[in-house]
Amino acid sequence: MVWPAGVGHMIEFLGDTVVWFTEHWDGQDGYLVRTWNTILLSGLAILTAALIAVPLGALLGHYRRFGVAAVAVVNIGRALPSFGIIALSLPIIIRIASHIPNGVPIFGSGLGFFPAFIALFALALPPIFTNTYTGIREVDPGTVEAARGMGLSEGEILRTVEGPLASPVIIAGLRISAVQVVATSPLAALVAYRGLGRFIVDGFAVRDNVQIFAGALLVAVLAILTEAFFGLLEKRIVPEPLQASGAALGEETVVRPAA
Amino acid sequence: MIAQTNDSFVRWDWIWSHLDLVWEKVVEHLILTGIALGVGLAISLVLSAVILRWRPAYTPITWVTGIAYSIPSLALFAFLVPITGFTILTAEIGLVSYTLLILIRNVVAGIDGVDPAVKEAALGMGYTRRRLFFQIELPLALPVIIAGLRIAGVTTIGLVTVTALIGQGGVGFFILRGLNRFFSTEIVLGTMLSVILAVALDLALLGVERVLTPWSGRRGSAT
Amino acid sequence: MSEPMIRLSHVTKTFPGQSTPAVDDLSFDIAEGEIVVLVGPSGCGKTTTLKMINRLVEATGGTIEVAGTEITSVEAPILRQGIGYVIQRIGLFPHRTIGENIATVPGLLGWDKGRIKDRVTELIELVGLEQEMKDRYPSELSGGQQQRVGVARALAADPPVLLMDEPFGAVDPIVRSRLQDELLDLQQRVRKTIVFVTHDIDEAIKLGDRVAILNVGGVLEQYASPAETLSDPANSFVEEFLGEDRSLKRLSLTPIGSVELAPGPVVGPDATRSEVDAAMAQHGVDWVGVRTGPQLDGWVWGKDVTDTAGGATPKRFSVWLTPEQSLKEALDSVVSSHTGVAVIFDDESYLGMLSIEQISRHLLE
Repeated sequence: MVWPAGVGHMIEFLGDTVVWFTEHWDGQDGYLVRTWNTILLSGLAILTAALIAVPLGALLGHYRRFGVAAVAVVNIGRALPSFGIIALSLPIIIRIASHIPNGVPIFGSGLGFFPAFIALFALALPPIFTNTYTGIREVDPGTVEAARGMGLSEGEILRTVEGPLASPVIIAGLRISAVQVVATSPLAALVAYRGLGRFIVDGFAVRDNVQIFAGALLVAVLAILTEAFFGLLEKRIVPEPLQASGAALGEETVVRPAA
Repeated sequence: MIAQTNDSFVRWDWIWSHLDLVWEKVVEHLILTGIALGVGLAISLVLSAVILRWRPAYTPITWVTGIAYSIPSLALFAFLVPITGFTILTAEIGLVSYTLLILIRNVVAGIDGVDPAVKEAALGMGYTRRRLFFQIELPLALPVIIAGLRIAGVTTIGLVTVTALIGQGGVGFFILRGLNRFFSTEIVLGTMLSVILAVALDLALLGVERVLTPWSGRRGSAT
Repeated sequence: MSEPMIRLSHVTKTFPGQSTPAVDDLSFDIAEGEIVVLVGPSGCGKTTTLKMINRLVEATGGTIEVAGTEITSVEAPILRQGIGYVIQRIGLFPHRTIGENIATVPGLLGWDKGRIKDRVTELIELVGLEQEMKDRYPSELSGGQQQRVGVARALAADPPVLLMDEPFGAVDPIVRSRLQDELLDLQQRVRKTIVFVTHDIDEAIKLGDRVAILNVGGVLEQYASPAETLSDPANSFVEEFLGEDRSLKRLSLTPIGSVELAPGPVVGPDATRSEVDAAMAQHGVDWVGVRTGPQLDGWVWGKDVTDTAGGATPKRFSVWLTPEQSLKEALDSVVSSHTGVAVIFDDESYLGMLSIEQISRHLLE
């Protein structure tokens, strides 16, 4: 049997990759630890963003304020290059650290967790905020009025009526945000964070194709798993009749021209 | 921004003295973006035509492009490097893949969104399928398609900065260099340029839409 | 009879996945220059039949000929360029001006610019719109105006045949009535062969030279003029479809002018009490009309007359009708008046009266 040369190289390459996976799983620089670091970083960024953006978006959406701002937020968020944001966070953190007494011990030399965290947090905010705002605001005003008429307080309306009804859109926002954060997290390696991105960046530096490929594989799988995870979350949290009204795989729903 | 210490956060004089480098990188950035959008749109139109002819193709195509979209940009470039090296081709393959999902979505939705009564009237008057597509459906789908182009465009401009890591980069060059040299001016410069270009592209495409759709500008008594 | 403009022979349409045909073995002819209305309940296949004529729906059996040519022998787009098509939702191209919309088919046919321009001007006037609308976009027009543009657009290349699918269904009744009148008026001038689909029997009666009543499955129950259909329904389905006020519908078809009017119990202002009594007795009523000049002054109760008819103040007749109006309107006037008659006049003089007996007698002839 004659294989073309390319296929032979490919098989060899894949073999090397498999070997790599068996050799690099343990230790501080192994992929298990780094995967955990990535999950930690991303998770905290998303969580913090959600804790701020969901209540804020819900409140503003309920009272129907600042609609223009909500749209602007997403557009600005999209225009900011994630690479730039992460890179910027470095000098910013350094500045802040040098102004606060004992700043340096707390924030470190500016490398590592904090810059990446700040950047990813900033990245996570827009989709969560805008989707929550829009979701709550777009709940049928007739339903809300009926609830008010029945004697529910504003807070109760938000929690028991608008929240559940807006849940598909809100969770879609969380999903989009999460995937975006996980997708950008490899760049944290550039500010010396010890996440999965390290494999890729280091691999680029030494031109180690196997390391690059393996790192990419790990990151890609993590991203897809994140997507799947939120899909499952949606199935759990969103009330039955409203399922599948959020966006499909990977994306915001079809974008209409801005009014 | 942040208060100045011994070193300015942004050294405008440095920027001023390197304007030709800035210009060079901006042009590079726009070229990379332009190629990505052009190729992306072309591929999307072809795939959309396939979907419009044969609906069942929609799910597999969106599934594949969706996965491409979910893969982190750095990882995607990383996958390609062993195959195509640190070249423009690698960058473009990655950039184009990111545009596909949203462009296909919007082209299909735009064409689907054309009023069925308009299509029926056109066919009833004797339009062939081909003329119908090019003279009626496509022009009427333009607003939605351009909306997709705007999103794809803005996203692409951001992603081009990442290609600095594989030797391309456009204005990402400044961000990377600034990071490596601990020179905040360059980081700020690169980031700001990226934002400016993104906003400029967005507005330019919006302008194109206004020019190409004179009928939607007027608000009439009906509707 | 000369060659029919449209001939359907044993036309059948079965949609894929359906076991019963939507239209089964339908045959009928449409003569040149007549308006034929296809009417029937939902599912009777009237729209499907219409669409088979211009091949928007392809028949699964039978043949259709237009102007002597079998429609399957021509390419569908070419066929359609020779047939006007108007639908309920109109489908004006939002991205083209009114003028450009109307110019569509002439453009497809390759007419030269000057000819197209003149034709557009001509048509805009024909459908009763302002010339300046030519450069507006459809979104700027009202529903009624848009529908007129739709008709103009269909007539642009001067096709011999016009297909209309419930074109007036989406506008309010006042506009609809006006559009119907305008269509009839238009037809006087252009004399097209029109196939018109509607579910509204009143519209069918008003517009059709002949009415084809279809039952579910494209079964042709009756195909005749409105008057004939109303006076002689073919079977119980048709009877039921025509509605319980069949006779009233017939009345709406007949103008007052075609019926003989009675002079009525009319006297001059110096008529004596006995002359008044005589007139009342002759007509079996308890009032008289008083007339000085060409018009009637009014009417008075017989018992109010003392010496002369002119002595009592005459009451005005509340409704006056012209010969062009229908017997149905006359009947409406009759049942709502004290006098029990409808008074007919033309421009300046009194012509006569109609009583309910006279109206019924007309129905029974």
